[in-house]
Amino acid sequence: MIEIEHLSKHYGETIVVDDVSLRVDEGTITVVVGTSGAGKSTLLRMINRLVEPSAGRVLIDGQDTMSIPEDELRHRIGYVIQGHGLFPHRTVAGNIATVPRLLGWDAKRIAQRVEELLLLFQLDPAEFAKKYPHELSGGQQQRVGVARALAARPALLLMDEPFGALDPLIRSKAQDDLLTIQRRLGTTVVLVTHDMEEAFHLGDMIAVMDEARLLQYGTAAELLTRPLPGFVERLVGTAERPFRLLSLAKVGDAVEPGSAEGEPVDVSSNLRDALSRLIWIGSPTAPVADASGAIVGRISVDGILAHGRRPT
Amino acid sequence: MERDTNARATRFLVTTSSARASVPGASPFRLGVSFDRLGSVIALLAGISVFVLPFVTYRANRIVSGEPRLLLHALPTTVAVAVMGAVVAVALVAVFIRWPTVRLTAAALGLVVVVPAVGLSAGFMTPTGNNFARISPASGFWLLTLALGLLVADSLTRLRFGPWARLGALVIAAVAVAILLVSGAWHNLSLLKEYATRADSFWREADQHIFLSLGSVAAAAAVGLPLGVLCHRVRAVRGPTLQVLNIVQTIPSIALFGMLMVPLGFLAANVPAAAAIGIRGIGAAPAFVALFLYALLPIVANTVVGLDQVPANVVDAARGMGMSRRQRLTQVKIPLALPIILTGIRIVLVQNLGLATVAALIGGGGFGTFVFQGVGQTAMDLVLLGAIPTVALSFAAAVILDAVIDLAGRVRK
Repeated sequence: MIEIEHLSKHYGETIVVDDVSLRVDEGTITVVVGTSGAGKSTLLRMINRLVEPSAGRVLIDGQDTMSIPEDELRHRIGYVIQGHGLFPHRTVAGNIATVPRLLGWDAKRIAQRVEELLLLFQLDPAEFAKKYPHELSGGQQQRVGVARALAARPALLLMDEPFGALDPLIRSKAQDDLLTIQRRLGTTVVLVTHDMEEAFHLGDMIAVMDEARLLQYGTAAELLTRPLPGFVERLVGTAERPFRLLSLAKVGDAVEPGSAEGEPVDVSSNLRDALSRLIWIGSPTAPVADASGAIVGRISVDGILAHGRRPT
Repeated sequence: MERDTNARATRFLVTTSSARASVPGASPFRLGVSFDRLGSVIALLAGISVFVLPFVTYRANRIVSGEPRLLLHALPTTVAVAVMGAVVAVALVAVFIRWPTVRLTAAALGLVVVVPAVGLSAGFMTPTGNNFARISPASGFWLLTLALGLLVADSLTRLRFGPWARLGALVIAAVAVAILLVSGAWHNLSLLKEYATRADSFWREADQHIFLSLGSVAAAAAVGLPLGVLCHRVRAVRGPTLQVLNIVQTIPSIALFGMLMVPLGFLAANVPAAAAIGIRGIGAAPAFVALFLYALLPIVANTVVGLDQVPANVVDAARGMGMSRRQRLTQVKIPLALPIILTGIRIVLVQNLGLATVAALIGGGGFGTFVFQGVGQTAMDLVLLGAIPTVALSFAAAVILDAVIDLAGRVRK
């Protein structure tokens, strides 16, 4: 658990982060979102002390980060930046081994860990371990960057616009991969982005920042249904709102008794995708199947739309 | 490779054909033969040097003025004709054949024929038992060697050898020269006669030359690299340091020697320990210090530039992963700056190998000793005895460091 308490940063007269407090729970993804210059990167960099706070403190599992030597602190926190920042003079394996080597792991343990991570990120060790970063595609470089950050099994991973340099198709694949890996490893993630879509896609919790201040901090559903008037409301986007709500809810939430004709939809898929299916096939209803394939009921257009409606 | 060569050949064809567009029917495409521009110049030079210019100069003793001899009269007729034939053949290859490997082979074979031939000529023209007569290569020989050297250099460029291949080529060239000198093929040439009477001092001065140039570069690297790192880190130090070094760089070498005589002389007179290790107002000490000072600017400047150009996000990532300042410097910044730092060292090494010649003026020794003695005695061969090894050393240093730079930068984009 990370507790950020009254954290501020100013450079002379300029206030970059102004009295921000928030709590990040173990094993969750918190996305800090805002326009550029909102202070979100500075907030992130104060967690691993790349930027020293002017006031306030950060506690990791109850321990004040100021009480830990900075390099030691950073060995324990994974860090991923936009454009990956891989070392061009080291191979993929050498890059991933960076922190384990700093920690003085023995060669055998490092080699095992590197192989494990390459497999986790769907990079064949035989093919990729010896390659240099410039021989990889953008998506592969990004994956190596995340693998490198996870090498020493940090409990916390900080990501600063990690997908910013990727084209849209690779970007959404990279986001899905991150979700899968995060769920599997249970790593706590704090991610900074200016992309609202990304925030809703990845964030268990979303923190909206503007002009150095934290405006609203809550779950995605909270932000959609009760956005703070003004900046947050505009950022969330009124036109997109019902569809974003639908993409947060699962088919399981809207399943009703009864039967229907046609191909069943999966109970764990989201309502936005289910609605899209119904529109496309031109049917008001479809059967719902659980993971084993058994029909558990049906789903209807009206039932789905109810979930996208403004809460009363 | 071949495709590449063809593309290049076509480009040459286009330029040549457009230059001769006014001649109808002379299109190289239609004839299937084409003229290589550089090759034509080389062939012209080779032709002039074989048929018009003197191949060797004959002098009754080492300081009188000599009489020039054409190639045809410098060797037994059959040998002379054979050499001419070989040169003409190489010239034809230079003009008509585009394949770089063939051009390289032809040029190398040409050198293998021409270079020993001048030694043979010396043996042929020296009257038996005459120890005073001096035969030295004349303008024809030098121009011919230049032409063939150009052809070698051009073919090597076209072949685009990797660093290891270039080092290999350098070794082959060095072995060839060694064989030439050891075999005795050149023993009757005046250059080697000058050497023979000075063999001891030649190697002593060679040692001194290498000590002055390599030693000063090593010392400059030992001081310049940390100084460069300091300038990179502390902006306040950067400006003044580079400015002072810049000014040093503009002082002519003789003037710098003169300026150093006073403090070093003072040091020698007043500090016995300094005098004990050989520090004097004149001699090797001021030469060494001057060369060291000249070497500092390129090393410091390139270190600063090299460290500055390391991408900021790479350094940020290194910091974010908990690398200490020292680890970032030694594991990230210096490896990434290495090609640029080495370029600085290459510049000063080649520069100092040449500049060390001037050290002889203030009694510092080195190959310059022969150059200045030769100038004093108007004995050109003695000048060459100092100049040729200097040029060869600079050339070898350039080739070796270029290869090292390539290897250091190879893994990067």
